[in-house]
Amino acid sequence: MLMQVETDSACYHCGEPIPADCNLSAEIDGASRAMCCPGCQAVARLIADSGLDAFYRLRTSLNETPSQQATKELYALYDAPENNQDFVTETAAEECRAQLLLGGITCAACTWLIESALLATAGVSAANVNLAQQSLVVSWDPQQLPLSEIFQKLASLGYDPHPWAVSAGAELLQREQRGALRELALAGIAMMQVGMFAIALHAGDIQGIAAEYRSLMRWVSLIIATVVVLYSARSFFRNAWINLRHGRLVMDLPVALAIGLAYLASAWATLSQQGQVYFDSIAMFTFFLLLGRYLERSVRQGEILRQTDLQTLLPPAATLKTESGWATIASRSIERGQVLLLKSGEVIPADGIVLSGSGSVDEAAFTGEHFPRELTRGDSVAAGTLLTEGGAEMEVTADAAGSRLASMLQLLGQAGGEKPQLARVADQVAAGFVGVVLCIAAAVACYWYLQAPERALWITLSVLVVTCPCALALATPTALTAAHARLRRQGLLLTGENLLETLNHCSKVLFDKTGTLTQGKLQRIRLQTCGELDAADCLQLAAALEVHSSHPIAAAFSDVEVTQQLLDVEVIPGQGVRARLGDDQLLIGNPLFVRSKCAAADQPPTSRGHWIALAKNAQLLAWIELADSLRPDAESLVQALQARGLAVELLTGDHSDQGPLIARKLGMDEVHSGISPQQKLAYIQQLQAAGECVAMVGDGLNDAPVLAAADCAFAVNQATDLAKSRADAILLGNKLHSLLAAFNTAHDSRRVIRQNMVWALSYNLLAIPLAASGLIPPWAAAIGMSASSLLVVLNSLRLK
Amino acid sequence: MDSLYILIPIALVFCAVAIKLLLWAIDNGQYDDLDKEASRILMDDADKPGDSQARD
Repeated sequence: MLMQVETDSACYHCGEPIPADCNLSAEIDGASRAMCCPGCQAVARLIADSGLDAFYRLRTSLNETPSQQATKELYALYDAPENNQDFVTETAAEECRAQLLLGGITCAACTWLIESALLATAGVSAANVNLAQQSLVVSWDPQQLPLSEIFQKLASLGYDPHPWAVSAGAELLQREQRGALRELALAGIAMMQVGMFAIALHAGDIQGIAAEYRSLMRWVSLIIATVVVLYSARSFFRNAWINLRHGRLVMDLPVALAIGLAYLASAWATLSQQGQVYFDSIAMFTFFLLLGRYLERSVRQGEILRQTDLQTLLPPAATLKTESGWATIASRSIERGQVLLLKSGEVIPADGIVLSGSGSVDEAAFTGEHFPRELTRGDSVAAGTLLTEGGAEMEVTADAAGSRLASMLQLLGQAGGEKPQLARVADQVAAGFVGVVLCIAAAVACYWYLQAPERALWITLSVLVVTCPCALALATPTALTAAHARLRRQGLLLTGENLLETLNHCSKVLFDKTGTLTQGKLQRIRLQTCGELDAADCLQLAAALEVHSSHPIAAAFSDVEVTQQLLDVEVIPGQGVRARLGDDQLLIGNPLFVRSKCAAADQPPTSRGHWIALAKNAQLLAWIELADSLRPDAESLVQALQARGLAVELLTGDHSDQGPLIARKLGMDEVHSGISPQQKLAYIQQLQAAGECVAMVGDGLNDAPVLAAADCAFAVNQATDLAKSRADAILLGNKLHSLLAAFNTAHDSRRVIRQNMVWALSYNLLAIPLAASGLIPPWAAAIGMSASSLLVVLNSLRLK
Repeated sequence: MDSLYILIPIALVFCAVAIKLLLWAIDNGQYDDLDKEASRILMDDADKPGDSQARD
């Protein structure tokens, strides 16, 4: 389905609603299209100017709104060999290859856009984007083009490039994935070949066939089936054997037994020229089982690859104070006691204490708090937080490995290990089933050996084939595969295997506030004038001032196009911005700061909420209220969840009264505000100890341990990679409502799995007595087995 | 019917060649990203950068 924005009320690039006083546009395919912010406009213009307008006709989902976080200076660090050796390899003389991860890829048209744009750049010889992994492999000539230019190009197209240091684990995973595909491909082709001979053999059974040709076809089938059993099906045998040695009966055991026994019996039938062969069933069964596993694997692989490690959260380089001045060093060589320079807009590379300077630091990663903390001399800062404004010198108190960030990751590892693993229902059923089947088969064999020894082998085989747990083995994985596909279409990417089962037992849904229920960015909600200028003029002045600040508050004005040119701009970290327009002195900032410079000291209109003040020549012009706005679908989601009988709670690290306020507005059942990640974790574990099954929805690094501990964990799309890697599912797109789809699908898939199980078990129970009494010839048993498996597959497909 | 003794082995050889080709393609990374390849047909050469006029 192609995705087009046709109305003028939504941004043509990202689909966000266009703010009332915004008048931006870009010319695409000869028509002027409305844009919601300068970021979207810049990206859209670049795409159109490169002659790549076709992107907008080809895309199947809307773009993400571009964020301009990283700067040219940061990308320039990657040009130095000591900072890029992790992800760049020299492939030939004058050619290097880099591996990057890209944020913001939404559909196949993005891969086309990126590849086309890069290939049109002089110096780039090859570019290949992998959509599933959201990764890019690019080859270029470093003589012609620095690597930072490639980063810059990607950023200007609206994507967020990160170096991708390929770990041994990721490479192993790719090898395994290719291995699985090889096994699947072989089983598929073999299935078709054996199937053709099987049709000839079955026809021969009915119409008569010369023994000579029957034997020929059986021999050929035997050869092909041998390859399948030895190559494609080996993982079943290996798993079954490893688990058996540890005394566990798993689903792979009956699968391995069925494949093994059917193969041996068929081979015996071929050699002795009597009885029945089941080569087609063997190949088909192997193929369908491998297919289910392969699909399930490939869904998860992309996310596993992006498992974040410490290095990717920290900047690649830092500025070190030396005797001769400032020097850029790689972050990994930072040591305790060194003095580093922190610049505005940079991620802090190590834990430390501020020696001089000032600024404000965004610690949302740790606290979930989106208002920055002011820094002065003697304050401590943590690695992985962002200096939004100002500049400072700090003394390193702990390197990356000893930082608070590292201990947070450690906490995460522990929580992940403690995650309650649901007992696999299918495996338990299978274990009991295998035991029973083997006993029955043994009893049948003994009985017939005493009664009619010449029929004993074939009747026993019929029993084993008829009771082959194929349908039982396929019941769960096929239903889950279909459910995954359905959820993917509804905007939810499943990464954990147990989510759909667990969701049915879920009794409580916990939400994080900032970035999850809210959009995680400040917006203007009110402007109250109290001076000579009207609201529109005030807004113009405010935007003109804030455009110079990198504080998150400034983002609330990014939708206003700045027309005035200010002089003598001075950004006072944590306080506000001061500038001159003509002869007028302008001032914007927090109420305390502005009032201290104003003649009349007014109070903000209300004591609640977050206000900033705008003043001209020491006269107050306007009060502007900012708030983190709720996602539009938050309220209906909470109601819908409650209608399903779930308790909905809010867990937030925010100390202010915003938490209770939002909870009341949304009608949530309980709220816990101002609690640390450790307390959140303890709360969840306490609920679990009381027998509750808890689902958690979150986004930040601070939510990651809690997500790892929750029974069902959801991360929103803008979540940090770390939070995503700990979640069982990721809400793609920007809609919380996909969460409801997950609950619905979980319910449906449980129903389908139950139907499959009931069918498979009752078929077996009915067929066993018939086979044991010698009424079912082996060929009819084989047809029955295939038919029952097929029925299970078709029933599962209904979920799609 | 004796032709079966020739035709079936020939079919087997074809089958082996097909498997060999498929395994080569897998190892070559051609199946690493199935999502992208599915849409490639829509992004034809006329949409290459530079000649955006040529497509209409």
